[in-house]
Amino acid sequence: MTGVHVEAHVEAPVPARTRPEEPGARSGRGPRRPRRYGRLAPYLFILPALTLFACFQLYPIAWSFVLSLYHTDGTIQTWTGLGNYRRLLHDPLFFTALRNTLTILVVQVPIMLALAVGLSVALNSALLRWKPLFRLGFFLPVVTALVTYGLLMGVLLSDNNGAVNWLLSTVGLPKVHWLTDPFWARVSIMLALTWHYTGYNAVIYLARLQGIPDEHYEAAAVDGAGPLRRFWHVTLPGLRPALVLTVVLSTIGTLQLFDEPYIMTGGGPNNATETIALYMYQTGFRYFDFGYACAIGYALVLIISVFGLIQVRLAKEED
Amino acid sequence: MRQSGMGDPSRRGFLKVFGAAAVAAGGVGALAGCGTVGGAKNTSSAGSASGAPSGSITVWSWANPAAELKALVPQFNAVYPHVQVSVQDIGNPAIWDKITIAMEAGGSGLADVLHLGVDYLPSYIEKFPDGLADLSGLGANKYRSAFAPGLWETVSRGPKVYALPWEANASGFFYREDLFQKAGVDATSLQTWDDVIAAGKEIKARTGVALLAIDKSASQADSANLFQLLLQLQDSFYFDISGRITLNTPEAVTALTIVKQLGDAGLVFDAQGSPGSTGYDSAVKNGDVAVCPDPAWYGGYLETLAPADRGDWRLMLPPSVTAGGSRSAIVNSTHLAVAGTSPNQRAAFAFAEFMLTRPSSQVSVFKAKGIFPALLDAYADPVFHVADPYFGGQKYAEVFIDELSKPSYPTNYTSDYARALKLIDDAQTQVLQQGADPAAVLKSAAAQLAAQTGRSQS
Repeated sequence: MTGVHVEAHVEAPVPARTRPEEPGARSGRGPRRPRRYGRLAPYLFILPALTLFACFQLYPIAWSFVLSLYHTDGTIQTWTGLGNYRRLLHDPLFFTALRNTLTILVVQVPIMLALAVGLSVALNSALLRWKPLFRLGFFLPVVTALVTYGLLMGVLLSDNNGAVNWLLSTVGLPKVHWLTDPFWARVSIMLALTWHYTGYNAVIYLARLQGIPDEHYEAAAVDGAGPLRRFWHVTLPGLRPALVLTVVLSTIGTLQLFDEPYIMTGGGPNNATETIALYMYQTGFRYFDFGYACAIGYALVLIISVFGLIQVRLAKEED
Repeated sequence: MRQSGMGDPSRRGFLKVFGAAAVAAGGVGALAGCGTVGGAKNTSSAGSASGAPSGSITVWSWANPAAELKALVPQFNAVYPHVQVSVQDIGNPAIWDKITIAMEAGGSGLADVLHLGVDYLPSYIEKFPDGLADLSGLGANKYRSAFAPGLWETVSRGPKVYALPWEANASGFFYREDLFQKAGVDATSLQTWDDVIAAGKEIKARTGVALLAIDKSASQADSANLFQLLLQLQDSFYFDISGRITLNTPEAVTALTIVKQLGDAGLVFDAQGSPGSTGYDSAVKNGDVAVCPDPAWYGGYLETLAPADRGDWRLMLPPSVTAGGSRSAIVNSTHLAVAGTSPNQRAAFAFAEFMLTRPSSQVSVFKAKGIFPALLDAYADPVFHVADPYFGGQKYAEVFIDELSKPSYPTNYTSDYARALKLIDDAQTQVLQQGADPAAVLKSAAAQLAAQTGRSQS
């Protein structure tokens, strides 16, 4: 980070000093033009992205905040100030959704990241053969479209004719109500999430693992560290930045959880898998209550920001 | 590849900065789906006020109805050669999101003709005042008494007419005659739902088959179909005619208690889905249920769903809830509306009129897909009076024609039907899965609905 600052300070005076030495300086036109374009160039390059961002992100973001201050009934809008936010504080369904989302976050994310660490170490191991095949295998779920795999999970976990229950029955185990029992429905959502995102996190770790120099392991081995201690004192510290990144990304992703419950359970049974994002969608697109949906959206932004800042702060303190 | 990148501050810094950026982007992403473009209102009327309609129109529908509309376009063009029609199968339930988004955006991107379910129509009328065109100026009023009783009230508000009725789905009581016979039960003798429960116990004991299927965990929004039918049979609904909430009423408690009794007696097959979706349909096809208390359209649907059961199914009116009570209910209907922003409203109305008010159009739709018309004149066609071998030679359409001609309780879906449905689904799940008390869950559902909508309770 500091390097960037120094560069910026050094660079600024340079143009001033070089100006008089340039051949066309007296006419004042020729040389200045390329420089002016030169300064403009970066902005021109980011302009297309910036325009798209402004139209499709910035504008909706700003407008949805305005909308969150209105009571909306379809296209009829009446000013309500903080009314929607007050309503949020007394909405039992919002708190159910919040509780469900946090439960999934606290239970599923650590399990998934631990699995991903183990997986990446295995995939990085010199002992493993057919590496590309395994890497591809574990990464494939990431590429699968969300809707496709949601539907697939729904079919696999179906009560009456799902493949999973059929497998259980062949070994004499009782049928599990994967999607229709409140407890198992949460488990199913977590299973689906884990299946989908473990490979993604493992690939991030793998990239990082490949950056850990062999000498560190050799030095640790010379000092008498066994495989476990090498993992604890070399691998894990080496993974730290990637761990911080994946924890932050997974937290955000989980707090925004929508697709899996939308497709697999519809938020049920009896709101057991209702998430904040799903509730926001239902409020807007099922009940046409867009103002309130925007307030839910902003509440979610607040929650995500708080979580993100805490995590980044914690990571910094430990440095 | 293994370079010593570990101690490199800029790389670690990058990851951290990226993480922080992701926090911001994550928050931002949560909102991106939330914004709406407001304002753009476009109330242009038809191109010319007289002469033959011309121009191009787009029609949004789904699956079977869309296919039938498509099939009728050549005939429409024989009468209206200057109107180009594009029928699009948007899919159901995707069509509701698509219409909602377009309406919220002031009508941009909306089709000219919209196929709407009765559960969505009131929301669009009330929440998007300019969303649907008033058809009274285009000549809709002459069809006031052309449709099954009760439907004109559904599509109109005072002098304004927002749609023309298409399907009228009276509730049927489809049952497996072979299973009833095996259990020694005469279905036609069933007068009330108490009789049905007793018969269900017999059937379960003798054949091992459940009486009917319910989506206990409410994986779909319309999982409380049976509850709603039982309410309508008592001349009640989720809302009364003036829009007050009627979920905490003796009728509602009776209806949910019947559902509970069915569940407690082990007569309910837990199907993940409602009629027309895989979970429910496969249960019917596999012979897991003896009864389908489903709307008229399910009859035609059954014939293609389970051709092997030909001759086993029969149909009658649903038994009443109380002895001597009502045995008819129009449980849902669909309609064609014209978008308020359509630049070609005359052509769009001409299309809806051609499809829905001409008996021959509706007869061909019924023949092909069994979609039951609301158009009374269509019923004279012999196709509604033939003996159907699938139903053991029963003239099954006559059962519905009879039901539709009786006065049925006018249901007020209101613009808050979707909210009511969600709360009812949850209440039913609590009753069927956790043994909750029907009166208690209904009281709490009614209170929540009142808090969410600001409506009072009756």
